Amino acid sequence: MEEEHRPDPDAILAELQREEVQRKSGKLFIFLGMCPGVGKTYAMLRGGRHKQDEGLRVLVGIVETHGRLETSALIDGMTVLPRQKVEHRGFTLEEFDLDAVLRVRPDLVLVDELAHTNAPGSRHAKRYQDVLELLDAGIDVYTTVNVQHIESQVDIVQQITGVAVHETVPDSILDRAHEIQLIDLGVEDLLERMAEGKVYMGERAVAAAAGFFKEDNLTALREMALRFTAEQVDRDLEDIRRAKRVNSAWKTNARLMLAVSPSPYGESLVRWTRRAATRLNCPWLVVWVEGSSSLDPASQERLSHSLGLARKLGGEVVSVTGYNISEALLQVAQDRNVTQIIVGKPERPCFWRRSLADQLIGGSGNIDVCVVRPTANNERSRSRETEPAAKTTIFNSGYGSALLFTFSITLVCWFLLSLTGYSFVALVYLMGVVLAALKLSRGPVLLMAAASAIAWDFFFIPPEFTFHIEKIEDMFMFGMFFVVAISMGSLTSRLRQRELAERQRQRHTAALLRVTQSAALAAEPAKGFADALRTMDELLQSSTALIVRENDRSLPKAPHPASTFQPSEKEWGVVSWCYVNKQSAGRFTDTLPQSESTWFPLQTATSMMGVLGVYLPHKSTIDFNTRQTIEGFALQLALVLEKEHFIMAVRHAEVISQSEKLQRTLLDSVSHELKTPLAVIQASLEGLGKSNDPYVDEIRTAHRRLQRVVDSLLQMSRLESELLQAQLDWCDLRDVISSAREAAGPPLDDHPIKLNLPSEVPLIRFDHVLLTQALANILHNAAVYTPKGSLIEIGVAFATPKLRISVRDHGPGLPPGEEQKVFGKFYRSAGSPAGGTGLGLAIARGFLRALKGEVYASNHPDGGAEFVVELNTETIP
Amino acid sequence: MTALIIDDEVQIRRLLRMALEAKGAKVHEAETGQMGLQEAAFIRPDVILLDLGLPDMDGLTVLQRLREWSDVPVLILSVREQENVKVAAFESGADDYVTKPFGTAELLARLHAIQRRQKGSDAPECIVGPLRIEFVHHEVTLNGEILKLTPTEYALLKLLACNVGKIVMQKQILKEVWAGQAGDPSHSLRVHVNHLRNKLADSGIEIRNEPGIGYRLAYS
Repeated sequence: MEEEHRPDPDAILAELQREEVQRKSGKLFIFLGMCPGVGKTYAMLRGGRHKQDEGLRVLVGIVETHGRLETSALIDGMTVLPRQKVEHRGFTLEEFDLDAVLRVRPDLVLVDELAHTNAPGSRHAKRYQDVLELLDAGIDVYTTVNVQHIESQVDIVQQITGVAVHETVPDSILDRAHEIQLIDLGVEDLLERMAEGKVYMGERAVAAAAGFFKEDNLTALREMALRFTAEQVDRDLEDIRRAKRVNSAWKTNARLMLAVSPSPYGESLVRWTRRAATRLNCPWLVVWVEGSSSLDPASQERLSHSLGLARKLGGEVVSVTGYNISEALLQVAQDRNVTQIIVGKPERPCFWRRSLADQLIGGSGNIDVCVVRPTANNERSRSRETEPAAKTTIFNSGYGSALLFTFSITLVCWFLLSLTGYSFVALVYLMGVVLAALKLSRGPVLLMAAASAIAWDFFFIPPEFTFHIEKIEDMFMFGMFFVVAISMGSLTSRLRQRELAERQRQRHTAALLRVTQSAALAAEPAKGFADALRTMDELLQSSTALIVRENDRSLPKAPHPASTFQPSEKEWGVVSWCYVNKQSAGRFTDTLPQSESTWFPLQTATSMMGVLGVYLPHKSTIDFNTRQTIEGFALQLALVLEKEHFIMAVRHAEVISQSEKLQRTLLDSVSHELKTPLAVIQASLEGLGKSNDPYVDEIRTAHRRLQRVVDSLLQMSRLESELLQAQLDWCDLRDVISSAREAAGPPLDDHPIKLNLPSEVPLIRFDHVLLTQALANILHNAAVYTPKGSLIEIGVAFATPKLRISVRDHGPGLPPGEEQKVFGKFYRSAGSPAGGTGLGLAIARGFLRALKGEVYASNHPDGGAEFVVELNTETIP
Repeated sequence: MTALIIDDEVQIRRLLRMALEAKGAKVHEAETGQMGLQEAAFIRPDVILLDLGLPDMDGLTVLQRLREWSDVPVLILSVREQENVKVAAFESGADDYVTKPFGTAELLARLHAIQRRQKGSDAPECIVGPLRIEFVHHEVTLNGEILKLTPTEYALLKLLACNVGKIVMQKQILKEVWAGQAGDPSHSLRVHVNHLRNKLADSGIEIRNEPGIGYRLAYS
């Protein structure tokens, strides 16, 4: 029982991750209403104005006022984005200009009507996808939506109002919402507003009142909106509880599993499951069992719609193969710890076969089975869409050949009749049916079986040329013939179909294996990829383009040389979208469907390796199997690419470590050879003690200079070896400054120093040694290039997260126009005293840049030079 | 005092001998690591000056071998100034680290500091100039006046004062004062050092930071 009270660590992690994502991306505020006219747009604009008054940069992305005066009055004084004009079949449509917003980057953008479908040719098919992109770019969005447009509510709305809804938004976008605000209005108030003409203007008002705005409809919609919001609030509360680890409300570790078939009811079942899962607050998966028979294009279309919808609504899609559907389903259910299996109620009861639901109940053990009555919604419009694809002529469908074949057999037997007798003819017909079943699909074979029976009866069973049968044994024979022909035909054709499906699967598997082998095992990766892509092209009759990311994670300018087509300039936009968003895009998808080819991300569990483009000139749709095959290819290619990448990285690391070793050896021996004599000279000079001998002073000066040169050269070589790694640690700026003063050496002793530190100096997280050295070099420079005794000021200022350290001297200043040149290597300004290497400031800048900082030089308006160091650093005040 | 110099540079050895003998020390020399180890075992010096770049073996190895059987104070004298080398030397048991070229006066002061620590380790109190720490009562006085310290500050000051003049590695401070505490103790260390500095202001006692290595309490 303890188990139940322990917060699920995965759930807490997921919550934290969600917070993480939300922190980086923009926030989404949704104004939800039950129907048009409740004042969503008005509320959104008021909210936007409020934010604008608070000082945020607010942009009206797109707002439909429908001529409502109160609403348009609110827009005055706000920045409105000009709409983008899209040409489509001679019409000019006005659309929301996504790219303009991404360019302007406001703090908040108002986007009306989330469920809007964009004009063809826009980047995304739907406006909510635009909104998602805005959020990912870190821009906050206010938007409005009506409850009937929410995907999971669509079929309920249709049941209530009888109006089919075509513009929908997936529920997952509502999960992204930071806040959902319900704009509620009493039904009577709304009808009153309608009557006053505040909702729709003129004729549309009449039409709307007659259709949609009936009181009972509105009441039902209002209840839906209220309930939906309540559910969301409930889930938010749950999330909060989870994050705070309150030990309650841990009732479920449920997991729902929906079994889908290509039936027209799939989508409705998916929505039902999503709603149930939301209520139970549990994960859900959708399983499709690929059986022995292959699907016709229409079924395939329906299936991929259902599975696509499931993915969109946040469900996990699992596809398994198995001859026995119920066994396969139960296997998945057990593997995934499913608590409830959901199946659709069979349309018509079947007497000779147990329904799937019965079979599942029989074998389910402790798993609940839930049988749901589905509603076929949107089917009318869908089937209209798919009709052209399914329509084929009589001849190439096989029915024609079946009839033709029957006719020929009849003709041949007619001539043989005198030799054989009419019962033999039945055998010839049977043979025909079996032979036909080897070539044709099931429908034509059944037709042929029926046609043969009728032809045999009409032409051969006496009396000829009538359907009448006289003898009783003929009647039996006819009946038996009919049953045998039909079952033979049906069995044979089913066998054949299974064989075909098996063969296709085998072909795909073999191709996948070949792709993997050629890509992974080839001696030269480039040739291996070429082989792999050729294999794909042969299988899918396609052209493919492979785009592999560069080492710095940017996309290259050209596709991989193994590619078999060159993406056009326009396609590159799709490529980069696909790469950035890690989702397939282009033709046959919801994103940029106008493009020529389809692009799949090459993604492994850990990284994004590039993009695979497939150009399918001969296909009008992409079916589930093909998509799965391509995704399989993409995964294999991604894995191989990742492996290559790792090998390169290891090699690179080896080279680095080798050069590091060499560098260290070199530095060691050089330092040893130079520094030992310097040490000897220094010790000897100290041994001489305070002497007034001018020669000793000269030696001392020369020694100091030599030491400085050696130090600079060693530092420079360390900097140029590119092996400089910042060692971040907390450091006290006062420590840094005092160490830097010490390291700047004797020249600084001749100058008074003024420290301008803020009263509270926070600690900074930085590389102490490098910062000290950089500052020491700047201080040394200031001391050497200014007259002895002149003041040097060190200032520190914080503007979190930036830290500014300034070093200002009161010398002659920098030569005008050469302020930035002083950081050049071996730069020596005209008239500078002898003894410098011209490396000090170059090293200072090098160190600071290695720490992602910068240093600037300028002449102070009141005289003297000023060096400003700017760092981005973490502080704790 | 008997000092052993292990360095392959004859000039350095000669100079160090001169400087040390001027202070009245007895000096032995070794040219290689192997000879250095033999000498150390044979003459039992009071202090060892060790170069890291020896012809036959690495100075760090010499130090590690030496530490297997002796805790004689060792001062590293090297041209290598990368902080990771310094840290490695301290971790292998060095007592101090001076980079070449070095100032003779400072070198002698450091030698003095590491020897002093060696002598007075079981005293009931520790005195550094005007600062007096009494271990039994956890009482700290500065110029005769009681200094109020938090427990962490007391532990930190005691550790640094007992090692006056010598670098205490940051790692060691964190281990001894912040043992077993969560969070980022290195940040807390900086804050406490700051507090101590404020409390010790104008007393002539300084807590100096050695970038990337640790802290040293100095009295001038």
